[in-house]
Order: sequence, then C-alpha cells, then structure tokens
Amino acid sequence: MTQRLYIDVHVVQTVPPANLNRDDQGNPKEAIYGGVRRSRVSSQAWKRATRQHFDVQAPQSERATRTKRLTGELTTRITQNTGLEREDAGRIAAALLAQLGLSQGKKAGDTAYLLFYGNAQLDAVATLVTDRATDLAALDDKALADTVKELPVAETFTTGHPVGVALFGRMVADIPKLNVDAAVQVAHALSTHETQLEFDYFTAVDDQNEKEETGAGMIGTIGFNSATLYRYATVGLAQLTDNLGGDTEAALDALDRFVDSFTLSAPTGYQNSFAHRTRPSLVAVVVRTDQPVNLVSAFEEPVPAEAGIQANSARRLAEEHLTATQVWGDTPLYAAASHTFTTRETRTKDTVETLTQAFGESVAFADLRTALRARITTAVGEQA
Amino acid sequence: MTASGRTSVLLLRLAAPLQSWGDRSTFNRRETRPEPTKSGVVGLLAAAAGRSRHAALDDLAGLALGIRIDQPGSLLRDYHTVSDHRGQPLLSAAVSARGLQKPTSPAKHTHITQRFYLQDAVFLAAVEGPAELITTLEHAVRHPAFPLALGRRSCVPAQPLLLGQRTGPLQDALRAEPWQASPSVRKRWGRQNGNATRIDLPATLDDPAGDDIRDDVPLSFAPTRRTYTTRRTSHTYLSAPTGLTPDPTRPPSTGGHDPFALLGW
Repeated sequence: MTQRLYIDVHVVQTVPPANLNRDDQGNPKEAIYGGVRRSRVSSQAWKRATRQHFDVQAPQSERATRTKRLTGELTTRITQNTGLEREDAGRIAAALLAQLGLSQGKKAGDTAYLLFYGNAQLDAVATLVTDRATDLAALDDKALADTVKELPVAETFTTGHPVGVALFGRMVADIPKLNVDAAVQVAHALSTHETQLEFDYFTAVDDQNEKEETGAGMIGTIGFNSATLYRYATVGLAQLTDNLGGDTEAALDALDRFVDSFTLSAPTGYQNSFAHRTRPSLVAVVVRTDQPVNLVSAFEEPVPAEAGIQANSARRLAEEHLTATQVWGDTPLYAAASHTFTTRETRTKDTVETLTQAFGESVAFADLRTALRARITTAVGEQA
Repeated sequence: MTASGRTSVLLLRLAAPLQSWGDRSTFNRRETRPEPTKSGVVGLLAAAAGRSRHAALDDLAGLALGIRIDQPGSLLRDYHTVSDHRGQPLLSAAVSARGLQKPTSPAKHTHITQRFYLQDAVFLAAVEGPAELITTLEHAVRHPAFPLALGRRSCVPAQPLLLGQRTGPLQDALRAEPWQASPSVRKRWGRQNGNATRIDLPATLDDPAGDDIRDDVPLSFAPTRRTYTTRRTSHTYLSAPTGLTPDPTRPPSTGGHDPFALLGW
C-alpha cells in the first residue's frame, strides 16, 4: 500500500449518573484538562468493552481458540476438505504440525501446552494439503515428513492473526516473535465539560427487621458523576492489513466491525446500579491519507453547563474539524456522520447546520458503515 | 551537532489531555518524568518514519533535543487492573523447565498496576539535525506510518503536533516560538502580569557540558534488548513571546516576579 489510510472515529455520548470505570477508592476516574476536572474513562476500560462486543458478534471462523488438541482439530479439517480416512488425515496433520517443534503432551496427539490460534489460521494450514492429500496419504512416514517440510506451516501461524488480535494487538512475554502491534489506538474518554464528583449516600433496610430495631442494616456511599464524553479511536488500515497477512477484504471486515463495536459498546461498571445504557448522540468517521487527527482540543475550554452540553459539544467538534481542515489544508478523503440532532428544535438548529457543513447530512448508522466500507474499497482499489 | 553541512530544527508541540514519559519503569509501577524523554521523542519520530522496532536508530538518537515546558501540567495516578477475560488465572513470574510461565499458585485473577500520567501539560520539543534528515522527519510526522502517541499508546496527541521547520540553532528556535499554553492559562497569567509580551519558560537542552545526566537515549527499541545510554543536559530558562497584547494603562511588567527562578527551581 503506497498511501496509508487512517480511519478516525469521533463519538459524543452522554452518560447519565454512572460510575463506568472506577479507581481504587471506588470513585469514577477523572483527569484535569483545560484547568478543570473532567470525568474520564480509561482507554483500557473502553477497549475491553469494545473487545467483548466484538467477540460476541464474531463469526465462528474468526474466533480464536486455546487448546491442546491441535492435531485433532487439524485432522478434522483435513477429513472435511478431502474425504480421506481419519487415520490418514491424522498422519498428515501430525507431519504438518511436527514442523512447529511443539513439545508433546501426555496423551498421544496432544501438545504439551495450550496453543492460542485463530480458526482461520488452522483452516489455512488445512488447505495447504487439500489438492495433494491422497498422494500424501500414500507415502510412508519418512517420505511424508520430507514432502511436507516445504509447506509454509509456521508462516501460516505467524500471519493471518485472529481479527481481534490484529486490531488490538498481543503481547507474549516469552515468545516475542508472536507479538502483534495493535492497529487501533484508543484515547481515554473525557467529558467535554467540567464535572464534580458526587456521592450517593445509601441505606439498606433489613427486610426481616424486628419492630424495635430502628435504622438501617447497612449504610454506604457510591461515587458517581454524569458526563457528555468525547471518545476517539483511530485505525491504521496499513497495519491492520499487514496484521491480517495482507488480506484487504479481511481488514475491511475488521474495520467495519470495529466501528460498530467501538460505537455501541460501553463499560459495564455499576451497570445494575445506574443502568447507563445510552447510545451516542454523534458518531463521525473521517478517513485521512495524512495523519490521524484527534479533535479533543475542541473541549480544552470546557462547554458551559447552562448551554445544552450535548448539542454544544457536537457543534464544537464539527467546528474544530472545519478549522483544523482549513488551517492545515489537509482535506480528508471522506467524512460522514450519524447524529440525533434535528433542525425542528431551535436550540439544536445551529448544531445541525455546522455538523452538515463538516460531515455532510446525517445518515443512519448502518448506512454510515456501508458507505465507509465502499469509500475505502474504492480508495484501496485506486492505490493498487 | 557535529555533522557537516546545514542543520535544521523541527518543532513539535506535545500537548494532550494525558501524556506519559517513562524512563525506568518496569513491572507494576509505570511512572512518568515531568517532561518528555529523549527516548519518547525519538520513538515518536521512528514510528512516524515507519521504522520497525529492530531498525537502527543512530541517526535519530544523534539528533540534539531541547524541551521547553510551556505548561507543566500535573501528575495523575491511574489505578489499573488486569485480568484474563476468560477467567483463567494469571501467569506468574516463575518459569517452568520448558521456559514457559507457570500459572500463579494460589490462583491470582487480578493484577493491579499503577500508571502515572501528566495531565493538561504542553511542551515544545525542538529537534536539531542535518537538514535533509529533518525534512524527511517533517514529512513523516505529517504522514505517519504508525499512529503517534505521547509516551504511551493511549496518549493521542492533540493537534497541531507539527509546528514546522526552523533554521538556526535550537535555542534560538525555542526562544522565538510563541508560548503554547492553553488559552485559559495564558489569559490567567496575563491578568496577573499585565499581559507582558515575554515570559520565562523552563527548558532542558542537550548540552555536552551540562550538569545533569539522563539515562534516556535509546540504543535499540527491540523488545528483547531494549537498551539506553546517557546524555548530558543543562536546565535553563528561555524568554519566549507570550502572544498577548500589553495593557497600556498598567506599568510594564517584568514578565512575572519569580524569586525561585534565580535558584533555578
């Protein structure tokens, strides 16, 4: 890929009284920005929520498994592909995996430790022998081992990572060769306005209380705040494609599903106490050929509380995007947004106009994803 | 800078809600220096240029670095827990005969780490080196190969990161560049100091004759052999334009009375 594409995702989301991500005092995390206290949700917390949402939606072939029964899994795939007898397929599978030099486990055919691999990776290994499986099955053990030696088994396991790993990266302390650099970068979510930490004083009543015993069975406090958060993530398409072994289609799938999961997920801290199940009021995607652009400086001057925080935050974000584009002269390749503001209300009329100027007319989120994918497919096609 | 030929200076504005510049942190406590480290800035440039972790760094590590503290920010301690989302016990530091990490015993499911950040800080970093290299790096920062970060992956820089190229010595470039603090900080300071036109800002400069030694020059970023060497630095104050218009009705200010400035604090 000659030109590098970055896909920035900007989200404005209001969260009612909640405690999504707490510190060791049990209070919501905070940070100072622009000289005032802000509500903060760490990037790690939101990434975990995104990942879980992502994994649940994943088709079976893209899931990853951790198992000792690698040989058995591979044997099953070879039998399915070729219609060989299970015994013959097993010999081929064992010969292929012997290349990896894995230590053997106590049970025959088991590896000594759990191996974490993507189902797609194992499918790819199985297809390496599909065409010539019958010939291979006819060979004796030694000839078989020699013949499959040339097949790129190890390479298949070190490329084409599970999509989750390709997006979010992986660290394996003892085998640095298996480390994968993440293709997404997620910033800590910050409130666009000043927040104060508040405490909910609660009492819990004992239902089986004797009449004479007045007072609560238990008392305590929960820290909380409510905030309109600015969330930002960027995906490096070049790195993502690279992590997926150069498969552009897979990278586009992963990107599409990441945009979905990042937008719709939320950390579940104190979910049952606060039920903070909100959807974003604005999602904007910007495709850039130069560099990712984080628009957090739009909120360095905090949005004042009396002015309608949600609409003002969205308007400021759009203004910052327009200003940044004008000042630095780098027009993005593509920009689009989905939002919930309408021109019917006078209070949000300005916001809608500015948003339209910056990102075009609001579209449904499903259409946003489709259009984004189509635009990137074209861009990648032009480069190829 | 001993390289022959023309040198040039690249100016970077390092600002973000959070930054973190560790120099010797390992394991559970990830600290930050009060100002950007050389390894951090070199790492940012290397990432922009698309160098792999194993690539040679001599040319980048050889660049002279100056950091001006435009807005010092404050320290944020972030409490962070790590667990396996499948609910499996975490691995211990002990290694089996095969060289693999053993699971913790008794099983431990949550790992607690402390991560420190600088919040609400703004720095001006100047990097001086051969003109051709600086031009390449300027283009790289504008079209980075990897997403850039201020010391840690989640610390996404706020724009603008790149202020451009300047000629002349590094110190002059740092002196000439207007104060980059946030509008509210500049406004508050201006009220107290009669909107003086210049302000003294602390700075740390690479200086072979300097008093301080910092162990933050990267020799390699390769995960298996990360190594650093030392550099000498000096700490000073540089007078920079504030970009404010002085109030003619008030007596001219000295740029803020700071008795501790004499002590170099």
